Amino acid sequence: MKRFKLSPALIALLLAIALFILGGIIRPGFASYGLAMNILRLASFLGIVAAGQTLVIMGGGEGIDLSVGANITLGAILVYNITDGQDARVLPALLVALVVGAIIGMINGLGITFLRVPALVMTLGMTGVVQGLILVVTQGKVSGASAPIMSRLMSEPLLFGIPGVVLVWVILGLIVWFVLERTRYGKHLFAIGVNRTTAKLSGVRVSATLVLTYTLSGMLAVIGGFVLLSYTQNVFLNLGASYTLPSVAAVVVGGTLLAGGQGSYQGTMAGALVLTLLTSLLTTMQLPDSARQIIYGVVLLLLLSVYGRQRRLRS
Amino acid sequence: MGANGSGKSTLGKIITGVAAPDQGQLLLDGKPISFSSPQAARKRGIVAVYQELSLIPDMTVADNIWLTHEPRRWQSILNGREMRRRTQDLLKLFEGTIGPMLQPDAIVATLAPDERQIVEILKALSFDPRIIILDEATASLDSQQVDRLFDLVAQWKTQGRIVIFTSHRMEETFRVADRVTVLRNGKTVGTAQLDQISQEELVAMMIENSVASQTLTHRSEHESSPVRLSAERIRTNILQGVDVQVHAGEILGIGGLQGQGQSDLLLTLFGAIAYKGAIQLEGKQQRFSHPSQAMSAGIAFVPGDRGAQGLLSIRSIFENLQLPSWAKYGLPLQMKNARQDASQVASRLNLVMGSLDAPVDSLSGGNAQKVVLGKWLLREPKVLLLDDPTKGVDVGAKGEFYRLLADLREAGTAIVLYSSDDEELLGLSDRILVLRDGKIQGELKGEQLTKSALVATSMGSEQESAS
Amino acid sequence: MIKSSTANTVPMQLRRILVKNSYLLALLLLIIAVLINYLLQPNFFLPGVLNGNLQTYLPLLLLAVGQAIIIVGGGIDLSIGSIVSLTNVIVVHALGNQSSPSQIALAIVLGLLAGLLAGAFNGFCVAYLRFQPIITTFATSFVFLGLAEWVMPSPGGTVPADLANLYTSNPLGISFMIWVIAIVLILWGILRSTRFGPYLYAVGGRPMSAYQTGVPVSFVRLSSYALGGLMAGMAGLALALTTGSGDPLIGSPMTLDSITAVVLGGTRLSGGQGGILGSILGVLILGVIRSIISFANVPTWWQTLVNGIIVILALAGPGLVSLIRRQRA
Repeated sequence: MKRFKLSPALIALLLAIALFILGGIIRPGFASYGLAMNILRLASFLGIVAAGQTLVIMGGGEGIDLSVGANITLGAILVYNITDGQDARVLPALLVALVVGAIIGMINGLGITFLRVPALVMTLGMTGVVQGLILVVTQGKVSGASAPIMSRLMSEPLLFGIPGVVLVWVILGLIVWFVLERTRYGKHLFAIGVNRTTAKLSGVRVSATLVLTYTLSGMLAVIGGFVLLSYTQNVFLNLGASYTLPSVAAVVVGGTLLAGGQGSYQGTMAGALVLTLLTSLLTTMQLPDSARQIIYGVVLLLLLSVYGRQRRLRS
Repeated sequence: MGANGSGKSTLGKIITGVAAPDQGQLLLDGKPISFSSPQAARKRGIVAVYQELSLIPDMTVADNIWLTHEPRRWQSILNGREMRRRTQDLLKLFEGTIGPMLQPDAIVATLAPDERQIVEILKALSFDPRIIILDEATASLDSQQVDRLFDLVAQWKTQGRIVIFTSHRMEETFRVADRVTVLRNGKTVGTAQLDQISQEELVAMMIENSVASQTLTHRSEHESSPVRLSAERIRTNILQGVDVQVHAGEILGIGGLQGQGQSDLLLTLFGAIAYKGAIQLEGKQQRFSHPSQAMSAGIAFVPGDRGAQGLLSIRSIFENLQLPSWAKYGLPLQMKNARQDASQVASRLNLVMGSLDAPVDSLSGGNAQKVVLGKWLLREPKVLLLDDPTKGVDVGAKGEFYRLLADLREAGTAIVLYSSDDEELLGLSDRILVLRDGKIQGELKGEQLTKSALVATSMGSEQESAS
Repeated sequence: MIKSSTANTVPMQLRRILVKNSYLLALLLLIIAVLINYLLQPNFFLPGVLNGNLQTYLPLLLLAVGQAIIIVGGGIDLSIGSIVSLTNVIVVHALGNQSSPSQIALAIVLGLLAGLLAGAFNGFCVAYLRFQPIITTFATSFVFLGLAEWVMPSPGGTVPADLANLYTSNPLGISFMIWVIAIVLILWGILRSTRFGPYLYAVGGRPMSAYQTGVPVSFVRLSSYALGGLMAGMAGLALALTTGSGDPLIGSPMTLDSITAVVLGGTRLSGGQGGILGSILGVLILGVIRSIISFANVPTWWQTLVNGIIVILALAGPGLVSLIRRQRA
């Protein structure tokens, strides 16, 4: 009999659906189309940022990008500043922000591959640098405005009542799937994640691939900042901070091993849904802040007991 | 004793409590016993010395040796002075065969492999064991150190200890052991007194097929075929000026004792190590700073440690076979073509597998090594470099491997082969370059391709080349 | 046999010394930083100024010691800042507005115990349930933060004057800060000289080898997290003394600083080497850098950036050196 293997991505998706139904039971009106769209919109912010995180973690070697939160904020602030409310400036603003994000990601990648700084440390340190950059750019006060076209395209319903950002997320999902499964870069990234030596001895340019990966992560974080800005239409200095570790959690819940070499972005997308649903559920339950934090942490731990176990020492 | 895969290491692991048997029992002093952990076995006086080191690299020699049974003051504070003193006493056992760097305070990570192996041996000894298992423990030691170790073994015998000894060097077994038990495919095939059995009889007990399939007909006409790859004045950390030439349709063997630079030479030719010197492929100058460049020029490299260097263990056979070649399949990757090519190679290799999508770690050792070779066959390389490729491969698969090499030689591929198995090296190579201390000690051709000439040259004596 | 041919060269000897005393580079950095600071702030070495600085650094110092113990053992704790918050509010809450010695003692014990238990919980998940440390401690950081907010929803409370004064006192003429640091170093020295010392380094260095040799790996790991939690508790206590009140959010930014300090001090994130001396130096370096930046009249808005760049350079420094060495080889 053929063994039916439930992929972690599928499990995460089922979990997300279960949470959604649970929400409908606990609070009537939760399981509505409007709320579902809202959840999808919120999840897409996390999902877009977690795309970069997925690639970074897939590359193995304890790769991680803790600078995504700061990059989100920087991206949002740059766009906010340059756009200054004018539709025509949106595209140039986004391009500038993407370049800046790419540079930051590249610095991360170079430090990690050539200077052999552990990813945790390097991206942590860059967070401080990016936060410093933010202060220099804004001098403490954030001036600018988001352009109307941004909210129209991104956060308001665009097609069949679906906000643009969700469509962007879906397209991103297809692109990332394509990159991972149908390009040389993707195959090389998996190989590096499993075994760097084998990859190198099979002709893979390990350092270049990893630098590219971190660069992409920086750019995707900036895009996350852009879409977030379209939604909030306002920036503050801590905009992105609360997305950093959830982006890692989404990757883990989605079945990608932190050791790298295995996994999928679909899983991360399901993971982002799960985490967003969880947060929303807890919010609607109108519990005090403290209880929400505790339950969030406990649920994460429960999820970890399924996905996060490592190998025994005794064989 | 036993061939690879016969179960020697597994048996050792059961005796020392690292693994548990499915059936059967252990009897100690006639009484049945079972060990739930390595500590349990150690408490009954059973320790093992493996080749895979169990040392903590950043800790000192003394710390490593006495870990978990350190001498203590007042039952809790470690007695550093006593630890150092006892470590010195242990080190004295190998006095004269070790360099001055091996001190109680030396950090293990800074020691050479033979020094680390000696620390392993001393660590086992520090437990004052009844039974000592030496599993391939002599592999990293030089002849002086092996001599000293065997003196110690003789002492241990008079002290009433028991030594279980495995080695791939049969001469050592005959030197040090009294009795031998032979395993084959996980079963005990027989046991004998070593003074009553010959090497050939022992080998016959160990393998089913005869060893003859190891030999290919040597060809010496290759001298007239064009030089495919040549390297001059190659210098790396280990190589001290090496010149190599390989002809099309030739198998060039690289020999010598372990660790004399053989792997380095192969890795250099593949562009995986920084080097000084010149490399030419079919007459054209090349400069390799990364394996991808060597690959584009038509060079392929099959490592011996397939787990660490040759395969992506959790990925599919298909992905492993195509890893070096994705560039051929365009953007988006033409998966159907890729699968077809992979299937073709798999059948050419006689690969025994469930499907192309099965994870490569589901394959047996021999088949897994075929995949490592297979991923290069897809590229039809001009030069094939092999670094001890049949290590850990069973005899049947070895035979198939040799046939594949013969086919490649027939087709004109230039092959450079290193093997730690002298018989295999002599059987396959048309010519052998012997390395010693990073330099070429000699070249063996034609009638010189004998075991005694190989061993002698490896040890340092000059060989006169046949004219 | 290529034997020991590289073992006696000067770089190898240097490497040996550096591996054994990983804090030396940090010490060098600190000396340079202090000198620069002194140039900018001539009264740096005045006892009052030094003491004031130490008072600011002490909580992070205690926390970095805890994080160092965990990192040496091969783990990491991202919830350690939340544990600080938790113990901080527990101590202040338990103090109420009493000031009897027994009440004070009870409050302190409760706080430290909370830290120990929180750390032990982390350790249990990582060591016995084999959860991945980064995500696990990320998850527990929410749990501990939530607990802290539950105990004390908003900052407040008071600390009895006697206790707060202890923090700034000079028993036997030596600053209380020095006492604390000395006691921590002595206790660590004792701990390290028991079996636990080699066990901790073995588990962090190569867990498989440690297991095969018979080291109780899981127990050692759990203990390292518990000790880390205890030190976080002490940091929470110190913060209560220094600020005179409780705050459920006070610990959050300290987590990343504690990791930075440990790495600056020469301890590898992968574990198995380094120690708390380097981490203490790391905290001092971070503090002196911040002081330099403010005294160098760096414009306010540039201070964070300059601080960040210096930290990155310090973290990347060793990598840069080995890169140059590799290119030259």
